[in-house]
Amino acid sequence: MKKSKSIKASRAVDAAITYVILIAVAVFFFFPCLWLILASFSDTGSLYTLKGFFPEAFSFRNYQNLFTDTQMYNYPEWFGNTLFVAVMSCLFGTLLTILTAYCMSRFKFRSRKALMKTTLVLGMFPSFMAMTAVFLLMTQFNFINNHWGLILIYSAQAPMGYMVQKGFFDTIPSSIDEAARLDGATNFQVFAKIILPLSKPILVYTALTSFTWPWSDFILPQLLLPTMDNWTVAVGLMYLDETEFARFAAGSIFIAVPIVILYFCLVKYMVNGMSAGAVKE
Amino acid sequence: MTKTIALFLAHALAVIAVLTTFGVLGLQREDQEAQERFTGVLEENVTLQILDNDTAKETGYLDELLNAFNEEYAQYGIKAVDANMGAYTDLEKLGPAGYGPDVVYQANDVLMRYALNKHIQPLPVEEMEAYSQIPKEAWDAYRMQMGEAEYTFAVPVNVQEPLLYYRKDLLPENWQEEWDDDKNGVPDMVENWADLYAFSAEIKASSNGTKFGYMKSLNDQYFAAGYFLSYGGYIFGKDETGAFDTENIGLSAGESYKGARIIRQLAAIMDNNCADDTITTSAYELLGNGTYFATMTTPDVYESFVENFASSWSRTHRDWTEEEVDAYVRENLVMTKVPALPLSGNLYDREGETMDMTVMGGINGYAISSYTKAPNAALAFLEFASRKEWIARRCELLGIVPARADVVEEEGGVAEDVYDDLLNGRIYIMPGERAMTQVWASLGSLLRFIAEDGLANGTAYDTDDKLIAAMKKLDEDIYSAIHTLS
Repeated sequence: MKKSKSIKASRAVDAAITYVILIAVAVFFFFPCLWLILASFSDTGSLYTLKGFFPEAFSFRNYQNLFTDTQMYNYPEWFGNTLFVAVMSCLFGTLLTILTAYCMSRFKFRSRKALMKTTLVLGMFPSFMAMTAVFLLMTQFNFINNHWGLILIYSAQAPMGYMVQKGFFDTIPSSIDEAARLDGATNFQVFAKIILPLSKPILVYTALTSFTWPWSDFILPQLLLPTMDNWTVAVGLMYLDETEFARFAAGSIFIAVPIVILYFCLVKYMVNGMSAGAVKE
Repeated sequence: MTKTIALFLAHALAVIAVLTTFGVLGLQREDQEAQERFTGVLEENVTLQILDNDTAKETGYLDELLNAFNEEYAQYGIKAVDANMGAYTDLEKLGPAGYGPDVVYQANDVLMRYALNKHIQPLPVEEMEAYSQIPKEAWDAYRMQMGEAEYTFAVPVNVQEPLLYYRKDLLPENWQEEWDDDKNGVPDMVENWADLYAFSAEIKASSNGTKFGYMKSLNDQYFAAGYFLSYGGYIFGKDETGAFDTENIGLSAGESYKGARIIRQLAAIMDNNCADDTITTSAYELLGNGTYFATMTTPDVYESFVENFASSWSRTHRDWTEEEVDAYVRENLVMTKVPALPLSGNLYDREGETMDMTVMGGINGYAISSYTKAPNAALAFLEFASRKEWIARRCELLGIVPARADVVEEEGGVAEDVYDDLLNGRIYIMPGERAMTQVWASLGSLLRFIAEDGLANGTAYDTDDKLIAAMKKLDEDIYSAIHTLS
């Protein structure tokens, strides 16, 4: 009896400590977000008239200005550009990643292992390492100040991270493909009619990750898009005048809205996809 | 095998040699061509990309200018458009790739860096209408010796120097009795630093540190440099050709330690933010809402102060019309010359002699990119934009201090004061040397340390000897950074 009481007490202490730590970590991470959200509703529009941490008065003025006061800072245009680049990169990037992963998973060819190792190592280098080379290449292709240049880079780089998708395809028994082939299916038919319908979770996961990178990237758009009408939101927000903090906050919050919605809609598939990719047959 | 390698190397070297020879010949030809590009014959049916600053766009000045130019040059099919790029777009990066603007508006230090690397081209300025109206001191900021010849790379538009911004409505009611010793109708606290210091100390004490008199980020090298320059310091000496000599660094020259002492004293009337950039960023809002009485910055941001002051005033006076608020703001936001410094270098010395402050400044102007395909049309734009009417209009809309003497004469007031400073050597034109990066980095660190020491009433820089030693060490550090470490 005594022993069970002491076990209960010890579990309670464990749980209490765990909760305290989790709450502390949650506050630590959540507070800056909360602060930014409240600052974006600041009536004065300034960072320096906050009462303590939070604004004295609230209004929607900053959000209104974001979409109406577009003479200098054309947020709607930047938002549209970002959406275009992210959606296109997501479509092409997903397609290329899935195809790469499928090839690596299903086809055995010479140098396959070497190719896999090389892409793995190359994928470890940060993309900004090649900035100067990318800039020079893009000038040669006439892709400076052109959204398609960005889309090309994002899409071409996406397959470098094909390992998770390959892991997923590895879990689909190859006996299914073989059966289909015996029935006369071509490689494409096997991929399109058998593998893809089974791969919804990993497709969603790939699409989501391919979307988020261009959606929030700053370095490449800053490098390749010199004119303001072609800027993405990340570049535009960085250019805001130092007195435009509240507009910056509102812009930062608003840019997060679509991705949060997308995340909540697709999260169940994404979790399935990630865990599925980690399990071997 | 060895033979194959030798053959390969020989061929490779031959190809490199041929390419290099053609490359060098090509570059030489380019250099000559750059000087001969202004033929006087306008290129027809071209579009010029004009890069101006954000205030010019915000106030509508750039649109007005472009429309007027386009109307006049429509017969040639020449059209000037806003380059629609960030004001600090790097011509060095975009120009060679063929994406830069044709005409660039920038400060002299940036433009002269471009000139050094041939990103902007020398101009036939002597033939321009504005030439005789702009003083030699302004043109000098854009002159550079290249080989035997001296070239001018831009057309000066406005003069930049730090000015004091203050709120007239925050002056004490009895200032004419208590704060106008010389009875000249100008408050003492905006005439000399010692009185501004005393007034600021009074405001801070009476408000329990919630309100301040003079506020400025003391680590800001551009604005703080004036304190050193006024007491005999300099950044770079000059060699026999008149060019800056980066081996001769003189921030510790003369009695510049007095400038360091003033910075240390100023920290005491400010708050914890004086050693970083917070005050510079917050000044627009906090001068507007009356938390600060005065600050120091350049004339080109006048409209930003007006906007913030008006916004703050409208929030507390909701029954006022927009016009009433604007009139009140423009009446009470005053931009004037920076106060005189005490000769003793001591801000507690309110009775001693004073001297005019020498400040770090610059000349902003228009230059033509070396990569433009229409140099004659671009030159025509420069001619047009530097006309009296357009400089006067820029002055009216942007609040700048014009470089043209005839416009200054008509404007009077603070423009005349700034112009006078330029002609009398009280504006130290910021050098365009790349080595300025090292100067700013080392100076910024020392300024921060001095400000923090002053704020905490510490002992690191509390005597003249310590300040002299710190200034000498600063010169050594800058020298090492420029010549040893890089």
